[in-house]
Amino acid sequence: MGQREQATDGEVVRAVLAGDVEQYAVLVRRYRDRYARFAARMLGSLDAAEDAVQDAFVRAFDQLAQCREPAKFSGWLFLILRNRCFAERRRRTREGRALEATDEAIAGPDRPDGNVEQVEQAHALERALVDLTPEQREVFVLKHVEGLAYEEIAGMTGATVASLKMRMHRAYDRLRELLKEHS
Amino acid sequence: MTETFHPLVKRLLDGELSLGDLPPGLRGEGAEALRLLGAVDRTPVALSVQLEARVMAEVRRRARSPMRRIWRGLVEPRDIELRLRLRPWVVWGTALAAAAAVALLLTRPSPGPRGAGPARLAARDSVYVRFVLYAPTAKQVAVAGTFNQWDRNASPLVRVGGHHQYAFVVDGEQWVADPAAPGVDDGFGRRNSMVAVTARGARIL
Repeated sequence: MGQREQATDGEVVRAVLAGDVEQYAVLVRRYRDRYARFAARMLGSLDAAEDAVQDAFVRAFDQLAQCREPAKFSGWLFLILRNRCFAERRRRTREGRALEATDEAIAGPDRPDGNVEQVEQAHALERALVDLTPEQREVFVLKHVEGLAYEEIAGMTGATVASLKMRMHRAYDRLRELLKEHS
Repeated sequence: MTETFHPLVKRLLDGELSLGDLPPGLRGEGAEALRLLGAVDRTPVALSVQLEARVMAEVRRRARSPMRRIWRGLVEPRDIELRLRLRPWVVWGTALAAAAAVALLLTRPSPGPRGAGPARLAARDSVYVRFVLYAPTAKQVAVAGTFNQWDRNASPLVRVGGHHQYAFVVDGEQWVADPAAPGVDDGFGRRNSMVAVTARGARIL
């Protein structure tokens, strides 16, 4: 049977659960790029982001029977990827390896719209983002990189809008401090 | 000492205020804050074109693994039937209380062909599993779990015995783990309850 690109997430998930494993490729194609930027900004590296996205898809397949709401597969996949990013961050901290925003694909040195000063500011901000806590970094990336509203972030992460704002406001202060240190 | 942004400047960064809304004395700080956001890199990130092939190779390998086959053997529908029996006077809420009482009827496997009708199975040995949730303000309560692919509307249930995770769905949207059963982390920050259903009986885990 061919792959059903037009099928809803719920239909695809049920088909996979019924044994049609090849249908899972539809979900991979549908969501592989949606959260790539989030993972890249969370982990500071394109390679690490790719590993995280791949692991998230495989883990989602393993746990598919636990997906309570197949129609909301994308949100569920996001939670898996988010946990994977947090775990990677903890693992690196345990091993004494800090995240490094050295990947040029992430730091964006060749942004066509940027002059030298803008590029340097982007680099400085990327370096500062690495030093935020994972929770602060997450809310900053979702709001200011992905362009989501607090209400949308709350729906994705399960946190309240008030706690997200508090986290973000601390992140603003911490970024200001870090950017001054870096300059 | 840490130099923090003024609360109004933070609201500016949140998009709730514009630079012109700030008192003149804060506009310099506001402009500095906006420069910070102006440095945010929002360029799309492209992953390797090989990602899909790598994921699907791993998925196919796992789908063929013996452990997964055993698991599928436990949870796949066979000529066994679980029936969902709702007790309307308990499920539908009143001003005083609403609760879900769900009885799962597990019949033994039949040696007959697949797709046998419920009538043939009805007289078989049965196990009743009753789920109860006290929810005084709920208008409706359903139970969903691995036995019905988490479909709150699935009735009758079509999954077989084995270990199942489940949760209640209150008013169609609020997921609640069974307070009468130990919870298990579903791996994604939420709690499910566990029940083991066999032809000999059922017990919470």
